[in-house]
Amino acid sequence: MGPEHWLYTIPLRLRSLFRWAQADQELDDELRDHLERKTQEYVAQGMTQEEAHRRARLDLEGIEQTKEKCRDARRVRVIETALQDIRFGMRMLRKNLGFTSVAVLVMALGIGANAAMFSVVNAVLLRPLSFNEPDRIATLASLWKKSGGHGPVSAPDFRDWHDQSTAFEAMAYYENGDTAVRAGSVAEYAQVAMVSREFFRVFHVQPTVGREFSADETKPGNGGAAMISSAFAVSQYGNPNKALGQKIRMFDRTLDVVGVLPPGFHFPNKTGIWFPANTVFRDNEFRSGHNYRVVGRLKPGVTLEQAQAQMTAVGSRLEEKYPDSNADKSVAVTQMRDDMVSNFRLTLWVMLAAVGVVLLIACANLASMLLAKAVGRSREIAVRAALGAGRGRIARQLITESLVLALLSGALGVLLAFWGERALVALAPTDVPRLSETSVDARVLAFTFVISVLASLLFGLAPALQVWRVDLNKSLKQATPRAASGVIADRFRGGLVVAEIALSMMLLITAGLLLKSFVALQNVSLGFRPERVLVMETSFPASDLESQKRATLFYKELLREIAAAPGVLDCGAVRTLPGHVESAGSYWIDQQTDLVNPPHAVYSIAAPGAFATLGIPLFEGRGFNDRDTLDAPFSAIINQKLAAEAFPGQDPIGHLIHWGLDTTDPMKIVGVVGNVRQAGPASSPESEIFAPYQQHPGSSTDLKILVRTALEPSALFHTIRQKAQALSADVPAKFTTMEASVNENVAAPRFRTLLLGLFAALAVTLAMAGVYGVMSYVVGQRSNEIGLRMALGASRTDVLLLVLRQAVALTGVGIIFGLLCAAAVTRLLQSMLFEIKATDPLTYVVVIAALAGVGLAASYVPARRAMRVDPMVALRYE
Amino acid sequence: MIASVTEDIEMSKPSDLVQGTLDMLLLKFLALEPMNGFAVSQRLKQVSGDVLQVSDGSLYPALHKLEQEGWITAEWKTSEYGRRAKYYSLTRLGRRQLEKEADNWGRLSSAISRVIKLKEA
Repeated sequence: MGPEHWLYTIPLRLRSLFRWAQADQELDDELRDHLERKTQEYVAQGMTQEEAHRRARLDLEGIEQTKEKCRDARRVRVIETALQDIRFGMRMLRKNLGFTSVAVLVMALGIGANAAMFSVVNAVLLRPLSFNEPDRIATLASLWKKSGGHGPVSAPDFRDWHDQSTAFEAMAYYENGDTAVRAGSVAEYAQVAMVSREFFRVFHVQPTVGREFSADETKPGNGGAAMISSAFAVSQYGNPNKALGQKIRMFDRTLDVVGVLPPGFHFPNKTGIWFPANTVFRDNEFRSGHNYRVVGRLKPGVTLEQAQAQMTAVGSRLEEKYPDSNADKSVAVTQMRDDMVSNFRLTLWVMLAAVGVVLLIACANLASMLLAKAVGRSREIAVRAALGAGRGRIARQLITESLVLALLSGALGVLLAFWGERALVALAPTDVPRLSETSVDARVLAFTFVISVLASLLFGLAPALQVWRVDLNKSLKQATPRAASGVIADRFRGGLVVAEIALSMMLLITAGLLLKSFVALQNVSLGFRPERVLVMETSFPASDLESQKRATLFYKELLREIAAAPGVLDCGAVRTLPGHVESAGSYWIDQQTDLVNPPHAVYSIAAPGAFATLGIPLFEGRGFNDRDTLDAPFSAIINQKLAAEAFPGQDPIGHLIHWGLDTTDPMKIVGVVGNVRQAGPASSPESEIFAPYQQHPGSSTDLKILVRTALEPSALFHTIRQKAQALSADVPAKFTTMEASVNENVAAPRFRTLLLGLFAALAVTLAMAGVYGVMSYVVGQRSNEIGLRMALGASRTDVLLLVLRQAVALTGVGIIFGLLCAAAVTRLLQSMLFEIKATDPLTYVVVIAALAGVGLAASYVPARRAMRVDPMVALRYE
Repeated sequence: MIASVTEDIEMSKPSDLVQGTLDMLLLKFLALEPMNGFAVSQRLKQVSGDVLQVSDGSLYPALHKLEQEGWITAEWKTSEYGRRAKYYSLTRLGRRQLEKEADNWGRLSSAISRVIKLKEA
């Protein structure tokens, strides 16, 4: 169709759209004219005036029907009738205000919860990273072939990866963490990262103020330069332009600010300060010292798969060349976004699916309410059909009503989403990346719109299809609309209840499994007692042995003073709190042999008093004391797991052990302590080696002070902070409690359990309302049958059983379908479960019993109503 | 249910007419002279005898469709007997459409007659 065509038709369409009243009038005139002429003709053929008129009308096959067809021929009718339908729909909804508000509220809750959940999924999983061409940024990790696990990278491996590959435009490694920084008058914690040369090229960022690191500043051992984030510049100096040339004290060094990066760039994590790698701290040259994270930018046109293939080849070459360190090790290339969110993807999708199921149940509920209404409206429908409305036209009217209802709910749902999204972010584990970027954006709005429309189809279709079942004759003749509903509608309504029960069953089983596994997680023996232990995280600025020794002295003084403070029962210090693993690697007993696969242990640092403070039992030998100094013979304490593994049937005390943390000098085993779940409650204890902090100054500059208090730990905040500040103004402190730290460990399972519990509760409530609604309806429908039965001698118990039997049948079928669905779905959850199987029989039994109970309870009230049916009244009613 | 939907559609189709043929006939009539709906229905009956049965109920929707396509245009005129009626006439687009459809029809009917005339071997 050419433009000329549109020239003709557009004005016509516009006219039909905006001047439809006039167009309708003309249609009227045209057909009336036709009728008159036709009548005249028939009269001329010898018919009576009346007969002629009748024939003319018959020829036209119903004036109203023909008009309707002519209107249909004008295509814009779609829009025009939609407007009409919407107006009419609004009127109908206003007329039934009570029904409308309940329906809108239920749907708004469902839609709002979905929109809120989706806004989190959108921020964390879907939105592209805010870098230039983020799809080309990849992370590279050591791939442990046997376990399939990904891990950090050693410096020599990185250099080979970098030099032997061509797939990347830039590749860099980094290491980050928070440490003591003094930019103004007081020392504070700041996120810092040491980065290798091409780091900023990977992200395509350049400083907005100042310059990048010079070649001289990145030379091994040199240094003294730092780049800072815009946010850090603003908070410290008020303005990025004032940042250049400012001095920052950290690691007992002074760094000059040479550049400020653009606002919004703070990778990794929330980094405020970047400094060159291999300067302040020299690279760890061991191929088995896996300390660094690696990022790269793919060259244009190179796919992730090609890069992976190339890096796998590089990995195999290294494996051959360095069998001691690189056996079983390859390279994993992952798109950065996927890598960042890999831990949370399953949880978030499961949550979104669960909340989607709640919406489905809400839809089923509303569908059955609307269906009951549609049956009630069968007379109205019959009248309209008789007046010339096509059934399709009436169905469209009903669907439009549902659509209006859904869009109202969607609009309210968006408002709820604003609030729900904030609640979700507050509840979610804090380590979910990009969670703080959650917002209701265009995509969330589009999602909400789409699910609202889909929902309206879901709950509006059933009543709309009902239109075709209305029997014109019957409906118009019958005084009450009741008998007009067919068997099919009843069956459909039953189907909805079955669906609601089945879906609730799925959610309940999931929630039950998560709850049971969460309880197991809470009851697991951690190996230490977290109650009333205050934790003060500290960071002493140090980079060389000289400053590290000062750190040791500082901690020795601090621990002595804290021990003397009133209210302190025990105190000590560790490098890493139980629940986290910072360092791990191989160990050797008695002599360092070149075993190909030496056993593996967690490396830990502890100060005297740490075991007592944490309540970790000492089984053999002694704990650490202040005589374990740098010039004394090295000592070590092992846990029971390592003792059992390395010394089956022997006494480990007095044996020598080697590790790879900082030195390979032998350490004498002086004690054996109990096992601790180092990586949190969900993973079992590993072998562990403890060494005293004074003998490893390089790893003892950032200790966590542990204080077991007689009263509430918070009462001692002040005292302890003052003592630390009195000793050194350069040491910042952060407080937490051991209990809070443990709670953080289970934040993800708690989040999952809480949300799914909430969703399941919602689902059951809705399902209960659904069963109640349908059973009430059924009792109402059958009241004269019940009356008849009672008149013929049925007892009240018979009637009660009659109703309950039907409820049990519906619930039972629902439960069976639910079981099938749950069995299929929960298998996906296995990785989220702790110590129980996805097929845990107890959970299934409890859920089935609970749902059956709910089904019976919901039908009990209608059943009682049936018992009270007065046979006389019921029989007279018809 | 589905069956009743298709029934609705079938009702608006003229019986015994190849789809689209009615459009072509109407265009042809209006190409001869502008006329109102009633005249078109008379003319249809006259010309084709009772072979092509197009009810009045199908005629008007068809005319409205042609108007909406821009092939014919309508104006209200006072007729010979002094009453107002809606007169349809062919547009330039309509003329072109008619040529196209007539061509197609010619090709189709000659092809069909050739097939029908094939002698049995």
